[in-house]
Amino acid sequence: MAQHRMSSETARTAAREIGRLTVLRLTAYYVMVGILIMCLSALLPLGSIGPIPAEPPADMQGAIEWFKGQVAVFPMGAPVWLDALFQMIAAFLLVLPLAFVYVRTRTRVKFDHSLVQTVIVLPIVVTAILVVVRDSLALAFSLAGIVAAVRFRNTLKESGDAVYIFGSIGIGFATGIHAISVAGVLSVVFVVVELALWKFDFSAEFERTFARLCLPSSADMTDVPGYRDEPAPAGNGAGQAHPDRDGAGRSALLRIYVDQVDAARPKIEAVLERDAKRWMLEQIVAGTGNTPQLTYRVRAKKSVGLDALREHLLRDAAPHVVAADAPES
Amino acid sequence: MSTLSPPVSERDHVVGPADARVTLVEYGDFECPYCGALHPVVQAARKSFGGNLRFAFRHFPLRSSHPHALAAAKAAEAAGEQGKFWEMYDRLYRRQTELTDTDLERHARELGLDVDRFRGSLGERAHEVRIREDLASASQSGAKGTPSLFINGEFYEGPLEREAIFAALARAALAVVP
Repeated sequence: MAQHRMSSETARTAAREIGRLTVLRLTAYYVMVGILIMCLSALLPLGSIGPIPAEPPADMQGAIEWFKGQVAVFPMGAPVWLDALFQMIAAFLLVLPLAFVYVRTRTRVKFDHSLVQTVIVLPIVVTAILVVVRDSLALAFSLAGIVAAVRFRNTLKESGDAVYIFGSIGIGFATGIHAISVAGVLSVVFVVVELALWKFDFSAEFERTFARLCLPSSADMTDVPGYRDEPAPAGNGAGQAHPDRDGAGRSALLRIYVDQVDAARPKIEAVLERDAKRWMLEQIVAGTGNTPQLTYRVRAKKSVGLDALREHLLRDAAPHVVAADAPES
Repeated sequence: MSTLSPPVSERDHVVGPADARVTLVEYGDFECPYCGALHPVVQAARKSFGGNLRFAFRHFPLRSSHPHALAAAKAAEAAGEQGKFWEMYDRLYRRQTELTDTDLERHARELGLDVDRFRGSLGERAHEVRIREDLASASQSGAKGTPSLFINGEFYEGPLEREAIFAALARAALAVVP
């Protein structure tokens, strides 16, 4: 009997919902951080500001400089420690959304709590190092020497985690050289791209990715295997996935309670062969003291749906099957 | 082991086929947080076992610790009078913090009940009698707290977790020759 294989990543799409509230919160957060950084920039101008005229100049740039001079706490340039503190705060604020996205997009198995802390602290440290090094070639060489002498080795759980480390370093680097706007752009772009890739589960299935990238937009996608499972666009609310709309509700882990594994299995697999697009046996529980169970990863056919598939299992594999539970639902 | 007494009959609120292989009875209190936590498990069991499961609910309002429990039980009965017991049951468990008189009326309105009839029905003696009968049956069956479950008439003593309850239900179903 042909046994279709399905990656566990595909089955996880059931939970890949980005609520409108999440998008709004992130947007509001970035707006608030932007305003805060602009206020801090006005209060603590970086570099010297020349003599401040009594009246604002007519040109816009001059007027902004004049305004900065008026509200500046340190009009002749902030002390180094204050400058460093300001940049570190900016690095911290801009890296928090990365940590949020990491937590949001990882499963319990792949989640690494120490990496979340690393992602948050790393840009602060990088900023501090860059503030110390500044334009000194000697200090830069010393730093290179120290880094070469100390061996930093750590195995990441996921190769994708390295991207967060690099993103974090990038933000720290940008804030460390006073390029806070670049750090802001990096943070926003990183968050948007990571959430989009996660949401659409990009490249998880060859057929869908191929259809999206290689076929003309006018092509009839219904003939492409897997393309009918296109997830709904992001930001469609935090409601439950609708099986007919995005296919997400058709994937599940099914725990099937049976009387005898050997007798039930052929009947169950006949139903799956008929009603499931893909399925894979994951676990068999049998033996004295256990209620016999068969656990399958299943993706129901669109024309059938998961609920109907469970009903068919109860009906067509009776009396061997007494329950078909979807414990992740 | 305690046994359900009296057994499930026509007087009970029952959902599922009469010839189901397993009958699950819950003694519940709409204000009890443990019952609230059990509610999704029961719902999942009804879906997972399909026609193999019959579910019955009996009231066990713990009036001393849950001031709104009795009113909520009466509200469920009043909704049942208009044919929406299970809709109200589901709603009360999902919104356990909204059980004041005003909330109950709002639930009735949102479920599309005749609110005037519902309001009048809340004070009916028949509902109180029925709830008292359920309480007496709980005591007779050996149920001491909420939620108490009986599977095919036998008191369920295991943990109130999905996997354990499902396994017990499956064992009970398999013990019955179809």
